[in-house]
Order: sequence, then C-alpha cells, then structure tokens
Amino acid sequence: MAELKPPDTRRCRYFFLYDGSKVRGEGDPTRDGICYFYPEETPVDKQDLLCGQLAGVGRCVSELSSSAVRILRLRRCKFAIRMKDDFFWALGCSMEVPTVSVCELLDHLINLFCFYNGSVRQSYQLNSKETLAAEWARYLSHVLSGPSELHYILQSVRTLDLTNVDPLLLLKAALILQACQRCPLVLAGCVLFRGRVVSTQMPPQLTIKVMVHESETYTKTQRSSGTSKPPSDGEPVSSTAVFLTPSELQYLQSAPVDKISSSHSAPEKEAPPKKTRLSRTLSDTPSSESTPSRPASCQSPQKPSFSSRTSGSEDSVFSLAPSQGSSADSPNPSPLSPIRHFSNGENADQAEERTLDESHYHSLHSDGGGVSQMPSEGDGSAFEGSLHLNSGATSRTTDCGNVASRDEKTAAGEGGVCCRKAKGHKAETRQPPSGSCSFNSLEESPLVPMALYVHRVNSLVLALLVEPRFMGDSASMEEVNHSSLASLNGLEAHLRAISPVAPGAAGPYLFAHYDSVQSTLTTNVSGRPGGVPEHPFVRATSLLHSHFFDTETLQEAIIRSAGTAVYGTRSVAQETYFQQHWGTMRNSGIPNQQDSAFSLPSKARHRLLKHGVNLL
Amino acid sequence: MKCLLIASESAEVLFHWSDREYRQNIQEKYGVSQEEGEGLPAFEDILSTLFAPIIISCSTLEDSYTSFTTENNHIYVLHQFDECLYIAVNGDGEEKEDDLRRKLYVVKKMVEVMFGMVTLSGNLLRKELRPQDTEQRARLWKYLQSLVETYSLLRENDQSFLVEAVERLIHPQLCELCIEFLERRLVQQLNSSVERAGEEVLHAFVLVHTKLLAFYSSRNASILTPSDLLALIVMAQNMYPSNVDLDDMSPEVSNSCLTDFVFGLLEKAGRGETPVFEFVDPEIQMAEDSLHTLEINPPDPTSPRRVFLAISHKDEMCPMMPHSMYCLSLWPGITLVLLTKISSSALAISVYKYLEDFDKLEKRLHEGHGGPASARSPLNMQDIRSKMDKFIKSLEPHDLQYAQLQNVWAEFKSRAFSRAGSGFNKDLIPWCKNMKTQLCGIYRQCFLTDSLSADVTHRLSAGLQERAQAMVREKLVDWKDFLLVKSKRNITMDFPGLVHFICVDRATGQMIAPSLNITERTTSELGKGPVANYIKNKVWALVRTTRRYLQKGYSTVTLRDGDFYFCYFLWFENETGYKLQPVDIPVLADDSPPIGMLAYDYYNRLLKYYSKNHKGENVKCYELLTVHLGVIPTEIILQHCRQLASKLWEPSRNPLL
Repeated sequence: MAELKPPDTRRCRYFFLYDGSKVRGEGDPTRDGICYFYPEETPVDKQDLLCGQLAGVGRCVSELSSSAVRILRLRRCKFAIRMKDDFFWALGCSMEVPTVSVCELLDHLINLFCFYNGSVRQSYQLNSKETLAAEWARYLSHVLSGPSELHYILQSVRTLDLTNVDPLLLLKAALILQACQRCPLVLAGCVLFRGRVVSTQMPPQLTIKVMVHESETYTKTQRSSGTSKPPSDGEPVSSTAVFLTPSELQYLQSAPVDKISSSHSAPEKEAPPKKTRLSRTLSDTPSSESTPSRPASCQSPQKPSFSSRTSGSEDSVFSLAPSQGSSADSPNPSPLSPIRHFSNGENADQAEERTLDESHYHSLHSDGGGVSQMPSEGDGSAFEGSLHLNSGATSRTTDCGNVASRDEKTAAGEGGVCCRKAKGHKAETRQPPSGSCSFNSLEESPLVPMALYVHRVNSLVLALLVEPRFMGDSASMEEVNHSSLASLNGLEAHLRAISPVAPGAAGPYLFAHYDSVQSTLTTNVSGRPGGVPEHPFVRATSLLHSHFFDTETLQEAIIRSAGTAVYGTRSVAQETYFQQHWGTMRNSGIPNQQDSAFSLPSKARHRLLKHGVNLL
Repeated sequence: MKCLLIASESAEVLFHWSDREYRQNIQEKYGVSQEEGEGLPAFEDILSTLFAPIIISCSTLEDSYTSFTTENNHIYVLHQFDECLYIAVNGDGEEKEDDLRRKLYVVKKMVEVMFGMVTLSGNLLRKELRPQDTEQRARLWKYLQSLVETYSLLRENDQSFLVEAVERLIHPQLCELCIEFLERRLVQQLNSSVERAGEEVLHAFVLVHTKLLAFYSSRNASILTPSDLLALIVMAQNMYPSNVDLDDMSPEVSNSCLTDFVFGLLEKAGRGETPVFEFVDPEIQMAEDSLHTLEINPPDPTSPRRVFLAISHKDEMCPMMPHSMYCLSLWPGITLVLLTKISSSALAISVYKYLEDFDKLEKRLHEGHGGPASARSPLNMQDIRSKMDKFIKSLEPHDLQYAQLQNVWAEFKSRAFSRAGSGFNKDLIPWCKNMKTQLCGIYRQCFLTDSLSADVTHRLSAGLQERAQAMVREKLVDWKDFLLVKSKRNITMDFPGLVHFICVDRATGQMIAPSLNITERTTSELGKGPVANYIKNKVWALVRTTRRYLQKGYSTVTLRDGDFYFCYFLWFENETGYKLQPVDIPVLADDSPPIGMLAYDYYNRLLKYYSKNHKGENVKCYELLTVHLGVIPTEIILQHCRQLASKLWEPSRNPLL
C-alpha cells in the first residue's frame, strides 16, 4: 500500500551483521567479516572502521562483564547489539528513538531473518553473502517502513480500522480460520486485507512476521498491475518455507481451541467417523489421498507448479521432515479452478464437514499403514490436533463467539486465556536482560521448519502456518481450499465494499492507544511529512513509553513543557497517550489546580471514547 | 561491583577506584589468563590491560562512546575530558547510567578543586594524577578515592546531595546570632592577628553534618558558588564523616573503616605485592591495612588543604583561584570551615589571563585566520607581548620552571614577531600549546608543590587555629545537642496525605526538606526502618525521573506510581515574587552534563538562558517535589503544592536566615 515508505534514514543510521569467525588472523581484513552493511553505499573504509571497532569493543566489554553487550551508545547514535557465537549485529538509530524500541527493532529484524531463512549460521553456509544481503535489506526496509514515527516507538500489528467494519465480517474471518485449522496439518492462520489484519490466530509477534511476506507480495502486485486488483490469473495460492522457534510452536500447539473441555466433545468425535465409514467403505484403505468421494473440483490447477516449487526449494536448502515423500502420492490435478468449486452446488458447510470427517478419519487410521508417510513425532501431534480441532468444530458456536470477541478486544472467556498467554509472551520479549523468548531463534534450541501457505483472493489473503508436508498433501490442501474458498470470496467482496474512511482532520487533540496484548496501535497521528505539530506529541510519547517500560508501578503521568502537555496512562494491557491543543495554555509553571494540564486525564477519558478507547 | 577509572589516551591508568567485589571480579578474570604461580601484577596494571581495547578504540572513532550496557545489566559510562578518558562501571544495579555520568563529572570537579589550572594541561595533569613516586601516588589516590566514597555515600543518603543544593538549618535566630559572631568576633580577630602569616580569611562557615548553620563571607570576598560550597562540604565530610548508619561509632572510627581498609590494598597493589584479601580473615586484614596506613604519614591536622575555587569579583574572573581550606572539628558532627586567600594568589589571575590569550590565539590559528589583525575581535599581540615580558620579569628567577618559561617565550617571540620567524600561522600552534603548558607549570610551581604542606610559615598558626576552634565551641556549646537533633528533624509538615517534599531555591542553591532517616534508631517524619527506606528510594527515583524530563524540556511532571502520587514543578519568579511566564527549556542530549549544581551548574545556565528575555530583572528559579498518598484527590494535592510553594519562601522572602 501507499502507506509503506522507504526506510526512514533519519531514524535508522546503520545496520550491520559482522561475522567474527571470518576475521581470526592478524592479517585478515575486517571486510571479510562484514556480512551485510546498511546503508549499502557507505564507503568500505567506514564500514571497516565501524564494524571492527564496535565488534572489538563489544567483545572486550563482554569479557569484562561475562555477558554480551546489549546497548552501545555513541554521542550521536545509539546501537542495539546482539552477539551470538561469532555473529555481531548492530542496529544504530538516532538518539530520539527510545532505547527499548531500538532493541525491539533489532530483535525483530533478526527474528524475521530466522523465520524465513532458518539458522543464521546455516544460511551463510548454504547461501552467498549477496543473496542474504538482499534478504536483510528486505527485512530492514520492512521493519523501518512504519507509517509514522510512532510505529518505531510502539511496534504494532496493523489491523483494519475495527470501528469501520461490521463485526459480522470479523466473525466470518475468524470462522474461515477455524475451518482451516480443522486440517491437522494447519497450525494457525490469519486473514489480511490490503496489508492489514482482519483476524489472526497467531500471537502478534508471529502475525507481524507472516505479514512481511504478505505485504511484500502485495506491494509487488500493486506495482506490477498499477491497480488495486492483483492479476486474477496469477497464482492465488503460494507457499514459502518458514521456521518457528520451539516456543512459538508450543504456543500454537496449545492454541485456545485445544482447551475446549474434552468431556462433551468426546462422544461427538466418535459419531462422525462411524458415519463416514458406513457411507464410504473405500475410505478405509490406508492410501486414502485419492478418495473417490472427494469432489475433483476442489483441486486447484496451480497445485503441481507450486508444490514442485516449494518442494524443490525446500529440498535444496533445508533438510525437512520426511513427509516430502507423500507429495509423490499427489492426486491428479483438477482441471477446474477453485472458483468453480461452488458450481457443484455443494454448500460450503457440507463440504467443510465432509472434508473434516475425512481428515479426521485419516489421521485416526493412517498410522497403521502409513508409518513411512508420517514422521513419528508429527504423527502424534497431528493425531492430537485432529481430535481437538474436531471437538472445537463441534462446539463451534461458542468457540466462534470467543474468537470474535477476542477480535473486539474484550478479554473474557477463551479470549481471556489467549490474552494472558499473549501477555506472558510479550512480557518475556520485553525483558532485555533475560531476552530469551524474543530471541530464541538465536538460542540453542533448533528452529522447526514449517511452511507458510498463502491464498490470495484479490486484496484478501489467507495465510496459514502449516506443517511442511501439508504442501505435498493434496488431500489436506483440498480440504483447506474447500473450507475457505467460498467464504474468502464472500469476505473479500464485503470488505471491498467498505468505503475507506477519509483520514479525518487531526482535530483538537492527538492520541495514541497501544494495545500491548494484541500489539495494535490506534492513533490519529498521521505521520504525514511535515507533521510538525505532531512532533512534540511523538517526542513526549517516546519518553513516556520508555518510562513506563522502566517503571513497572507507574500508572499515569502528565508531563508539560512551556507549550505542550501530554498525558500518558497505562494498564496491564494498554498504553494511551493524549495531547490537547489549547488556544493558550493556562500555565505559569507553578502548581495550580486551574492549570489546563491537569484536566488532561478527564479530557482524554471523554474524547477517546468515540475511538473505542475506554480509560475508565 | 563499582569501578571508576581515569586513563590517558595510551591506556595508562591515572587514577582508579573500585569496590571489593569489582576488584575480586577483575582479578578472577585476569587470573584466568595468568599462569599458575605467577603473582598477579599491580591492580592498576590489570585494569590497564583489560580496559586497553576500549580506551584505544575511543580515540579511533570520531563519534566517541558514551555508554555500554550488557545483558546482565552492567553499565559502563565513558566521558573524555580533554586528554583524559573517564570510565565508570556498575555491575550491581545500584547506579543507573546518569548516576555514573554524574560521578564522572563529580570526580572531575574534585580534580579541579585539587589541582586548579594544572587540569588545563593534559601533560601536567597526567604527572600530577600519577606521581612517579609510588608512595606519593598511593597517598594521592587514597585521598581521591576517599573523596569518591564520601561523595557516593552522601549522594545515596543525603537529600542535599541528591538534589545538589545546600541545606540550611531552619532556625533564623540562631543562624543570625551565629553569623554575627563569625563576622564580628571570629573573622575579625583572625584577620587582625599577626599569626595569620599573610593569609586572609574570606569565608567562614559552620556545618552540622552536611547542613549549613551559618555562613559568613568577608566584604572583599567573591561569592562562593553553590558548586564550590558543595564540593567543600564533601571534603569536610571526608575529613569528619557523619555517616547516618554508623551513628554509634565516633566519626574517626567510621572514617578509618571506610577508607583504610580499601586503601591498604591499594598500597600493596602499588608496591607490586599480591593483594590477598580474599584469603584472609577480614579483621586481621583490617589491622594489617591500618598498619600500612600508618606507614604513610597522616597529614598534619593543622595543615590546610589547597583548594581552587571560582571567583568573580568586579572585572576579575578566575575559575580556579587558589585558597587554603581549614577544617576544624568542633564536636563530632559539627565542623568549622575557614577559607583563606593566600598571599600570592594574584599571580593566578595573571596566569589565567595569559592562558586565555594563548588559547584564543591557538583557536584563531587553527581556523586559519592567520595574523591576529585579521580576526574579528583582534587580539592585541603587541600588548600581550609587553605584558608577558613584564610578567616574566616579576617572577622570582630562581628555578627550572622559570627558566623554561623564559626560554619558550623567547622562542615564541622570535617565531611570531621577528622577521626571520614564520609569523602568525599554523606553525605557531605548537608554540601556543607550549606556552600554555609553561604557564600551567608556573601555576603548579606556585600553588601545588609538595613543599606546601611542610611550609609552616605560610598558614594560620596552629595556635590561631586552636583559638578559633575554642571561640566557636564556647559560643555554641549550649546549642550543641539541640543542633545535632535539629539537623535530623529540620522542618515538619502539616498537610494530611503529604508524605514528603523537597523545595529548592536554585538561584541561591539552597534546599529544604523534611528529614529522611532510615536507621532503626532514629525516627523522622516518616517513622523509621523499612517504610522510610521505601519512601527514600521512591524519592531518589523521582529525582532521577524528573531530571530526565527536565533534560528533555519538561518542567512539570506528575506521576501516579503504585500507592503514591508524585509532583514536580520548576518555575521562575522575579524578586518580588511575581510568577514569570514559562519558556521552552532547552532540550539536551542524553550525554550532556548532569543536571545539578555540584559538578556542573545546570541551573545557573538555565537562569542565564531565562534572563535573556528578562533584562534588568533578578530572576529566581524554584523547584518543588512532593510525594502524596495516591488516594488523595488530585485537586487537593495541587492545592498542597501551591500552598507549599508560597509558604516556604514567601513570608520574609528570606525565611531561611
């Protein structure tokens, strides 16, 4: 979208990755160790100097303190540092960006790289510096392309303006995701529209990672076509290899739907397989991928091309689970396009149910004959997942309600569980000293290869994190296609119909509301170039945010200079900043109850209600 | 886990201080890389080896380092003052980055008070800070180390060192009585005595712990800046400490506890012995250390300390004017301090003027302005030349330093003024530098030589000092106990819900606040023990926070934090108490000098900045910090603040005297 801007060079000065293992001997030139340096046009001598000095001093300090350097400040630039094995990352930003934000940006950057490329060391063993430099550049530009200064300070997932969207559509998106999740190979997913989140089942950190891929393909299609309509004859379905950290995987595997009490789901999960077995005897055979009852129409015509593509890339670069073998059993590609799916008159729900039953059945019964097909570890999880997902589906009405309510930011019931989990995750990532969770892509625990399945319908995108063998498992793919396609089309049409809200005039106040659980930011700060009146607000927000971060017990603050007064308040789940434009500030600096600055809290409570921010 | 280091650009350690944990930690680090059986080298050499990569990297980068933070929250703060690199390290979380930066600036201030203009020459300062003679070095470092410890203790426990403003005892009648006594009796008698040996008492003040009871300056004395006064209180406290936590010990005992233990080790290190404290019973170690301390002659208690203080007197301005400081203990906790002008001090002003001239010339030459004639505000070099000639003639021509200055000046003249010379161009820059070094050398010769402490003839005689001590003792003997109690309970509060406040008059550098006593035995407004300690920590954190906001231009801050509500206000008034309009306060960089008055007078600069638009008005600047219970409604809190702001300073516009 037009919101994506090139990296803001004012804020980010330098980013580099230096590999100390390449510079061991006295004679080794420093530049041999430089894996990537931004800005790329920096003279090599300067690159050498910065990398050599910073890495050298970093090592010296780390030895003195028996702990890696985290922050390194120069007089005019502050660096977040990461040291791991022989790698040395440094992200240098201007002094105005809060230190905590610079650290988060760097971690995010490294995590992004690991998400799409796997272990850094291995990547550099397998690929050339140049190839990976392009990757770094790509992630850097994404990380630095926030629409406004506030996005540097408060790292956030960009969502649809929820005040402008019919909640039913959000419910619908959540339903689509749930339907997809019934396939045991699907971990979690999210629905994006025009680069913004409509609904997600993933924790915010992971959603942001997934969105990098999406927004990139989105901007690419935007550029190539020049219209908002991506080429309809392009590839609506694609996939890419990704890597999850064990903690991310664990989080996804213990998603809220798992927690539906098994008591009432137990009898229900018994029934459908029986019915299936009764109705379709053929499905008893172990090689059940080519079930005759499956409508041929659900096969996507693009299937062979992309499956060969992914399997090819995966094979060459990464050693994946042995599930690749199953792609050999892929059923015949269908000549019909996914859209035609509806022409067979089958109602989407029926289709869903049927595929669900089948998949459930498969996972229950395939292990006998299909040991070679299923990795032993994945087998168990898939089996379990299937059971739970099935139960989740049966109690769908309540479940959907919960998902929807989560989307509307009310933390109750199931959503509450999710919120707390997300918070826990976040709290961990925001502790620089321990820093383990946010950064475990660099920890010893190995990354788990997964795949990111992306289905695009015009500006709407369904992105699913799936087991790698999903891409070779045509049955599962069909199933997902079946369960989502009709609904995606419908959702896309509805969302497209919503007229974008004109960016309202700034009004007599500025505010920023950050939901730290869902990592969403609501603000009327435009970030337009030349937003001079906004600068004091952003500056104050930056200071207050750092202060909130440093002081756990701090609840609210008012800070005032001669011309500006900004109010900040935070709870466990949110941070809100508010500034009122006064004609003339009643203020002499001395304590005075009449002072307009002290009425900011009540003004904020009153004004922000209409933005859906409740400060009561 | 604390350490402070001054290093030259070549990584030579010019001074170091560290606590036991840090020393242990460093020695373990170093021990790892050492062969078994080889004794560890001197601690300063270990430091030098381990820190060398950092120090050398500092001079390689054009944009210098200001701090490092590690994942286990060790903080390193670095600052380059001229040719010396100062590094402070904390590994126990007790100090934050700004505390460490402040400490560096305070140490620099102390070095300036001790060495005056010698600090302007990197070369000479290096020699001064690290004397060749190891015993002399040990003595100097020990003294400077004890100053660092005393300052750290005060900053952690004393509110006046927290906000860096002098606290007065609030008892107007007694104060007035005392000032009158200092003026009419004490100073007059001292200055009319023949035993003063050419010295003239300029300032006299009485301290009760760190609080000021009375301060008198003679008529021809320049105003003592808050910065210098605070530095002198640190020195007086160092000599006669009154540690709140060691109330039961006599000050002498606590003093030796504090310092001797630490410095015994240092002396060993200085002599190349292996400090073995970790293997030795601490008590035995203490005794041993005390012995070592005795080996170095303790300074004669009647010998003054040379201190260099700023004066501005009519058109004379000199930031480092030599004074003698006499610190006389009246009773434990109560001290009389006398500051005298020494007979030859006029020389310091001349040296300072010439230093400035050569400095200007050097800058000019650097900018490539060529001859002085082309400059915007021309330096009259001919005038300087004749004055300099006269100045050199006036010096006593009998030592090496004098001969050197004469030689360099002759060389400078031949290069600058003669036809054969190169004239005023960049080639003259080294000679400018050389002249500055020589001038600093002369200054050092006159005011800093070691013979000073042995020179009994140029100081108030021991008898005179004793008489002064006796006079003040006699005057205050009836008040003694009252004063000691009063210093712990200076003022009381009568606002329900108000937990604590600090009010500071920045124009005069004075503060008032209820006491915060945190020991079990003493009770303050807040009660005693853990609660008071908790509040104390909150207040300390609040001051740090508000400084951070002030640094970024915010002069009002209110915070709801846990069960408390904090307020901070900074405002300006004119002399009649009229509240002046606020202005946008300059936004400073993160590594700018600390906000305070001791090491760097931020408020003085702020007042000058504000006064630019209020010409002719005597602008005052006030700060108020309050801590309320969080349940009190904000309106009431603000009302309290307003009442406090007016009540504390309004009645007589001078309630503290």
